[in-house]
Amino acid sequence: MNPPTSLIAQPDAVALDLPTESGEAAMRALHARLVGNPAVTNADVLLKELLSRAEMSSVCIAPDVALPHARTPAVKRLVLAVGRSVGPLAFDANHPAVRLVFLIGTPKQMVTEYLQLVAGLSRMLKNETVRNDLLAAKTEADFRAVLARGTQR
Amino acid sequence: MKDGRDLTQPLMRRLLRLLRVRVWIAEKLQPTEWQATLLWAALAGFLGAMGALLFKAATEGIHQLLTGSNQGVVESFRMMPWWARLLVPAAGGLMAGLVLLFGRRVAKMQSSTDYMEAIVIGSGHVPLRASIVKSTAALFSIGSGGSIGREGPMVQMAAVLASFIGRWRKFSPPQLRLLVACGAAAGIASAYYAPLAGAFFVAEIILGTIAMESLGPLVAASVSATLTIKILSDAHTLYDVPRFTLGSPWEMGPYVLLGLIMGTLAPWFLRSLRQAETLFVSTRLPLVARLGLGGLMVGALAILVPEVVGNGYSVVLEILNGRIIWMALILVLVCKWLATVASFGSGAPGGVFTPSLFMGASAGYLFGTAVHTLWPTGAADPRAFALVGMGAFLSAASRAPVMAVIMLFEMTLSYDIILPLLLCSVLAYYTAKGIEEKSLYSESLKRKAAEDGMPELPAGRVGDLMKSDPPIIGVSAHFAEIAQTFLSVRVNNLYVVDGERHFVGVVSLHDIKPYLGEPELAELVLARDIVHEDFPRLGPDRSLSEALEAFLGITAERLPVVAADGRLLGSLAKGDLLLALVEKRKKPVA
Repeated sequence: MNPPTSLIAQPDAVALDLPTESGEAAMRALHARLVGNPAVTNADVLLKELLSRAEMSSVCIAPDVALPHARTPAVKRLVLAVGRSVGPLAFDANHPAVRLVFLIGTPKQMVTEYLQLVAGLSRMLKNETVRNDLLAAKTEADFRAVLARGTQR
Repeated sequence: MKDGRDLTQPLMRRLLRLLRVRVWIAEKLQPTEWQATLLWAALAGFLGAMGALLFKAATEGIHQLLTGSNQGVVESFRMMPWWARLLVPAAGGLMAGLVLLFGRRVAKMQSSTDYMEAIVIGSGHVPLRASIVKSTAALFSIGSGGSIGREGPMVQMAAVLASFIGRWRKFSPPQLRLLVACGAAAGIASAYYAPLAGAFFVAEIILGTIAMESLGPLVAASVSATLTIKILSDAHTLYDVPRFTLGSPWEMGPYVLLGLIMGTLAPWFLRSLRQAETLFVSTRLPLVARLGLGGLMVGALAILVPEVVGNGYSVVLEILNGRIIWMALILVLVCKWLATVASFGSGAPGGVFTPSLFMGASAGYLFGTAVHTLWPTGAADPRAFALVGMGAFLSAASRAPVMAVIMLFEMTLSYDIILPLLLCSVLAYYTAKGIEEKSLYSESLKRKAAEDGMPELPAGRVGDLMKSDPPIIGVSAHFAEIAQTFLSVRVNNLYVVDGERHFVGVVSLHDIKPYLGEPELAELVLARDIVHEDFPRLGPDRSLSEALEAFLGITAERLPVVAADGRLLGSLAKGDLLLALVEKRKKPVA
């Protein structure tokens, strides 16, 4: 399993209670889970870049999935925080019912790894069973187990 | 996972599929820059050969029109009455002059037509109309029996065609110069059926280097030209000679002497050509009258010695096959020298390459005959001295001994003579160099370089070599736009710029290649997400050696050129840089 795939199986943080009022609120909530992570050298810069990127162009890859991401010097390695909103999340104007959010921070030089990670997530989330299981998972442990299984399919 | 973008997804998939095919083709079939250069060189060779064939046919047509004979030039003149021998070259000269006179108006006297100037001190631009005018004039001076070679205009034609393709394809100056050089090599190869000599003629005399960056394309052009000639004409070894052998090691003694004689004679021959040129100009006669006078002088000589007309090829053949006696040859040599002086001096368009071969063959044969008479062991066969004399004289006149040896070998396919030929050519080269710095080709180049102040050579800075307007994309370009741009241009790295055209970095085709089957990714990814911001870049004022350093260790074929304020100015191709460095290393015009 290459590093980006293993990161999907074992993300840095998981949150199953993301707020639903806006994409920014969801991103801030997920970002908060990464603060203190030794791989994040500057949490403020990371947040700023995440918001800037989401403002530039949509980060949703499906009506119910968003992948906010930023290539930034504020992280030492790829970091991934995964969240599920408690209800339909109005992530942006075109995506009013997002449920799953995968927040990615990528070091500047890791273009290939970034693409591997995004492609891996995209492939996994095409599987309806995985998406349904992620939405149905009761606990963080269940949610992580679904992610781990999803990468092995 | 379906949303309102369902309509655009099939289009996106199609686009990505196309890009996948394009990447596959790029990896499996698309030639590298050097392979492409070789292909263009081969095309220049083919066109050069076609141009040479056309010129040869046209010259023969004009000759037939003026003399009413379809025989060789010398044979035709032998059959003509005295007054025709006198008047035909004069009429040819007048017509060549008229063509040049009226042609100047048509061509509006564009810059110099000389292909050597275009390669050595120019941008590789050989003007088409002016070259056609010059070649048409050459048809009359050569077809009417002027004592001048048709090989020069054949090379000119090949070079102008190569220059035309290069400009059409918008080649950079170093590439264009190389392509014109390929055309010139093709012209020589076509004229003498000598592919190696064609490549080495240009490498040694014009480019001054045998670096593979330039020699490879030259060889490709020469081979392509020779093949074309062989297929489309009844080409054969130019000088069909008997087998010569080195009868005794003692013969090397006279050969040493022959090398010294040729090395002395060649500079005097060249001086006489230059002085004749000065003399004709000093008459202040109009161009038409000057060319007519030159033709009249050749005609006057031809009344007594018809062998003076043409480039001397048929006489050389007679010498090499022992069909001429030495006493007659003395007369032919003197008259032919005078005729060449008259033709060249009057400004008749044509070359003196083959007349040089005649000079070497005649002088060599006469020397060999003298040695044979006094000491038969020292010169068993005077014809071998004629052959070696040709190479030695050519080496001394052109200052290209390697080319001279190769050319003699290719023209005669006589390997047995290689030892004395090598020795004589080298001796003649050094002797000539000691007497006179100027060579057959250096003078006009030196003069032109002094006039124009060496405008484009050598290009010393990155800014001189860069190409402007490289393909670019914005930082916010979506994957689809990136894919589309990659499809439309043949590059492996796209330059990413911001709204004010500041260089941000590059998007690499290599990076996105594995993900071309992921349309979801295509909707998500922007240029800024995958841009390599640490990609090396060059300033326009950086030196070429600094640019070379920047290319070391990376696989990119081009680097962006960025101004001090970060604006993208253009790109520098590695191929152009290497060619410019090769040009910089070449010897100065001697």
